Amino acid sequence: MNDERSTHRLRRRLLAGGAGALAAAGLGTLGRSAVAQVVGEGPTIELPFGNGGRRLVAYPEKRPLIVLTSRPPQLETPFEVFNDGVITPNDAFFVRYHHAGIPTSIDGDKHVIRIGGNAVGKPYELTMAELRTQFKPVEMVAVNQCSGNGRGFFNPRVTGGQLANGAMGNARWVGVPLKDVLARAELKNSAREVTFNGLDIALFGGGDFVKSIAVNHAMDGEVMLAYQMNGADIPLLNGYPVKLIVPGFYGTYWVKHLSEIEVIDQSFEGFWMKPAYRVPDNDCACVEPGTTAAATRPIGRFNVRSFITSVQDGGRVRAGQESVVRGIAFDGGQGVREVAYSSDGGQSWRGAKLGADMGRYSFREFSFGFTPEKGVHDLRVRAWNRSGQSQPMQALWQPAGYMRNVVESVKVTAV
Amino acid sequence: MKTPAFLPVAVTLLALASAVQAGTKSIDLPADGVALKPSPLPGYARAQAICSACHSAEYLQYQPATAPRAYWDAMVKRMTVVFKAPVADEDIPLIVDYLVRTYGNEQGR
Repeated sequence: MNDERSTHRLRRRLLAGGAGALAAAGLGTLGRSAVAQVVGEGPTIELPFGNGGRRLVAYPEKRPLIVLTSRPPQLETPFEVFNDGVITPNDAFFVRYHHAGIPTSIDGDKHVIRIGGNAVGKPYELTMAELRTQFKPVEMVAVNQCSGNGRGFFNPRVTGGQLANGAMGNARWVGVPLKDVLARAELKNSAREVTFNGLDIALFGGGDFVKSIAVNHAMDGEVMLAYQMNGADIPLLNGYPVKLIVPGFYGTYWVKHLSEIEVIDQSFEGFWMKPAYRVPDNDCACVEPGTTAAATRPIGRFNVRSFITSVQDGGRVRAGQESVVRGIAFDGGQGVREVAYSSDGGQSWRGAKLGADMGRYSFREFSFGFTPEKGVHDLRVRAWNRSGQSQPMQALWQPAGYMRNVVESVKVTAV
Repeated sequence: MKTPAFLPVAVTLLALASAVQAGTKSIDLPADGVALKPSPLPGYARAQAICSACHSAEYLQYQPATAPRAYWDAMVKRMTVVFKAPVADEDIPLIVDYLVRTYGNEQGR
């Protein structure tokens, strides 16, 4: 496949010139790894699960975020950010890379996307300048969420990136429908899947991060190539200069620094589609804790989630006074129909008030009034989407720790 | 009825888009925040040389302490088989042993 070409070019550079050549090529991380410097100072946070101590570090174009891994960077948004508004600021948006070969310098005008594969009639190359000027732009507010958001809360624990609930964010994306970009390549009737590759690479050439979706999905008019995020350039660590937006689908499909698109006549089975990023192939995408699934499928759309954001578990509120509790809800694209709340641990429920509708892929704000008596109160919220899908009262379990969406409990003390 | 997910962008937004920076963006990434835990086990030196070539130590340090030997073995093999990490065959069991006894469910053994 074409996606291996850039990897091979990089490997040749690696073999010829070692780390220095890589650093000169704008892939400074390998050079850094050879030095293996470590800094251990600075602010920290304790996530509410075992072994949850984390550092907070400001990466380029980012405020201090929770460091899941330094290299390649995986950064989680501190949860209180979600109470600042339904749009997640660019400098607070989570970061997730799979390989340390990250481009650290990119010309956002000269960057090229190659469109090809064995199921197009006219392969072509598209510069960013052409993408910005030759197509009709669209905009959409859409949530991006890591497949493993909340993995650290799984019980029994599962291995992998131990995230709390901050590996999600909601942004206003501007770009071009993928459908329009693919139309120029003249798809053949044999087209079955579309694969996506970005500039980030594996340092030793194996397991390049390539994702695929069905051709019908790619042509749905909603999947888009975004070059703007919340009215600004996309931060480099979120995929500058162009990122694939797959609304309602987990972040694993939102390929950063998008550089190659291939339309192919067969099912793509690279490592990151199979065996990675698979869920149990059943209705709940779950299995009995500690067991494995008989069959799996690639992870797909978000399930329904809702979070209280204005108070955190263990927080305090004023007794005898009404306080407004706020939060956010979202799903995989039906849109949120209803959010209910309970202040007695789920025994009784009432409807929360929904905020402005910013589109069916966006966070939806909700709020409710709460006048507590002195003591501990177990607040819970539960959302339903327009198809009637909701959240389980007891957490579901699966070996990879994806798709957590239990009704969360936020215990507050009124004083 | 479904609400439309997006709307065509008005001309004003096009003007806005042209005001966005684009051009070359360059960053410098911070150094690693965590080092591999020192150990008298022979796999420690191998891990420093091999694992650290591609990733920082949080990948190991933040795993749940329940992670069994089979997990660490599968991960080291993923690095070699899938990602082509250059690890000598004789080093693999040494690295796995260091990892499970330093970060996994054989800590202190």
